[in-house]
Amino acid sequence: MTRYYLPIIIGGLLLAFWFSSDAQEIAAGVAIFLFGMLMLEDGFKLFGGGALERILERATGSTPRAISFGIVSTTLLQSSSLVSVITISFLSAGLISLIGGVGIIFGANIGTTTGAWLVAGLGLKINIAAYAMPMIALSIVLVFQKSKPLRGIGYALAGLGFLFLGIHHMKEGFDAFKDQIDLTRFALTGLLGLFVYSFVGTIATVIMQSSHATMVLILTALAAGQISYENALALAIGANIGTTITAIISSIGANFQGKRLALAHLIFNMATAIVALVFLAPLRDSVDWISDVVGIAPGDYAMKLAVFHTIFNVLGVVLTLPFLTRLITFLERRITEPVPDVSRPRFLNEAVDEFPQTLESALRKEVLHLYENAAELILHGLNLHRKEVFATDDVAGLVRKSRSLIELDIDEDYERHVKTLYAAIVEFTTRAGDKRLAPEMADRIYAMRDIASDIVQAVKSVKHLRKNILRYTTRPQNVVTELYDSLRTEIARIVAEIQKLDMAALEDRSALWLDQERARIEEDARLTSVRVDALIRKGKLSAAAATSFMNDSGYAYGAMRDLIKAARGYYIERDSAMAELEQLLSLDEEELNEAMAGRGNQSVSTASKRTVT
Amino acid sequence: MGLKKLAAKVEDYNARLESGKASKIKPGHVEAVLQKLRAKSTELEAEIAAATSTDKKARLQGKLAIAQTHIARAEWLLEELA
Repeated sequence: MTRYYLPIIIGGLLLAFWFSSDAQEIAAGVAIFLFGMLMLEDGFKLFGGGALERILERATGSTPRAISFGIVSTTLLQSSSLVSVITISFLSAGLISLIGGVGIIFGANIGTTTGAWLVAGLGLKINIAAYAMPMIALSIVLVFQKSKPLRGIGYALAGLGFLFLGIHHMKEGFDAFKDQIDLTRFALTGLLGLFVYSFVGTIATVIMQSSHATMVLILTALAAGQISYENALALAIGANIGTTITAIISSIGANFQGKRLALAHLIFNMATAIVALVFLAPLRDSVDWISDVVGIAPGDYAMKLAVFHTIFNVLGVVLTLPFLTRLITFLERRITEPVPDVSRPRFLNEAVDEFPQTLESALRKEVLHLYENAAELILHGLNLHRKEVFATDDVAGLVRKSRSLIELDIDEDYERHVKTLYAAIVEFTTRAGDKRLAPEMADRIYAMRDIASDIVQAVKSVKHLRKNILRYTTRPQNVVTELYDSLRTEIARIVAEIQKLDMAALEDRSALWLDQERARIEEDARLTSVRVDALIRKGKLSAAAATSFMNDSGYAYGAMRDLIKAARGYYIERDSAMAELEQLLSLDEEELNEAMAGRGNQSVSTASKRTVT
Repeated sequence: MGLKKLAAKVEDYNARLESGKASKIKPGHVEAVLQKLRAKSTELEAEIAAATSTDKKARLQGKLAIAQTHIARAEWLLEELA
């Protein structure tokens, strides 16, 4: 597509420049305007420091709130496309609901009409270039400041300055252009005019990927008398259809929810456009009536176009709102949720790459997905079922009873369910590392990668164990079976404890609980060693079997330590002060031993009891 | 007990705090953690009372010992912050 699209655009522009120097001014005006929009976006991203994303998470509690958020954010950013891209990204990361996302899109369609008011009311009435120059000059001073908010304000100010400058050049270009060529000669009336100009409006917006820029172009051309009012109305309707292209493009890299939202955007804007085309005559009458009421001069077509743009977008929302639930049902039927494939990344996709909040949230969810796969594989590797382990109060009893072989190719399952996810996480974190993230966020992202690595190590250790687990625990072989059963029990207990921590309410749980498991692992490792020594001395365990078991117990305790390390990293408080506190209170190995020392004698006596059994 | 090590950790934390590399821990943060730890401790005590096997009792007592150590450390830290 790009192979043809790009040369055609460049060729068309060069041809236009060849014939008219005023076309150069108009095109440069559009380019400066779009550049201004980009700077405005960058400015808000820097200035907001993620505030927009944080608000977005909370703004979708109800449909009116979501619509209001869409209106306000699009008014501030002057870009419905940016708002729709952010919304798709948040929806893909699972941070907002589909109905909330659709509400935001509805609001964005109303918010985008403020742009037309800005241009028709201010841009064409006063010499905005006079404001643009000082704004751009002042902005550059701010852009070179170290402070992020100041730089943000600088970019936003520059963006606004370039928007104004772009409008000025478009206006100048059209004013000069009308002296050479009268575009009104191409004006079309009737139904043909409606459809042709709607189509032109759609295409222009698809090319510029901004309905805002198209609206400014229409308004300036209209103010210069280069297009008829009727054709301008059709162009504005077309721009509303074309604007959905940005959402469609960003949904390509999004998951099924992002695709649903893009389809909702297309359906909504198409329906609004059809209603506007069908009821164009009554809408025009309404515009005239409202213009009379608010005191807009009958010949001020630019302001009338702004009124029309607002009316038909608000009308679209009002007409569609009663069908919102049906629209959601249709979207869910049309684009079905794919059957979860545990071997594929579920949350990491290009759509969540855009914003730090979605990036971190998606990564956390994917690491949890990896852990769930790993926990299942670890327990199956030990011939245990996850549901039974999580449900029992007596893990040791369950392990003793679990002698049936679980058919499993652990190497293949590791490749499919663990390694592929781990590879996706590593790739994603590396990609995230290339972005300019805040240092604390970058640290958290890399911590997630380390957690994934610990989880993978735990699975690898259990892979080593699997052979002897099959050999010694599928049928009772006295003391060796007991030894391997104790390893199975201890690993299963760790997995169950991590599950308990995950299930605990956020306000109740603490990663410090895992210190209790760390202490337990070290004590169990010590007791196992004492027990093996005693068994060898008594001749109940051959040296060869003991060596083999000690190797396996190394893998088993390694897996337990890795799992606990991963859980500590994952469940550590996300508030940085609370995380600092947990790290201060957490015990190192020596401190764990000291804390357990009060029970030292008891442990030794328990060990001796276990040794003689 | 291990409070000497904790004191050293706090000293290191204070140095990082002064250089702007750490977030400030407020008494409210410690109180929130203490509440969680005390709730866990009470839960463990109830589990110990209900446990029938000596092995399980011993395991739970080990956990309780760690929880009580955390509580002691948090209380000490709270006093330091006050």
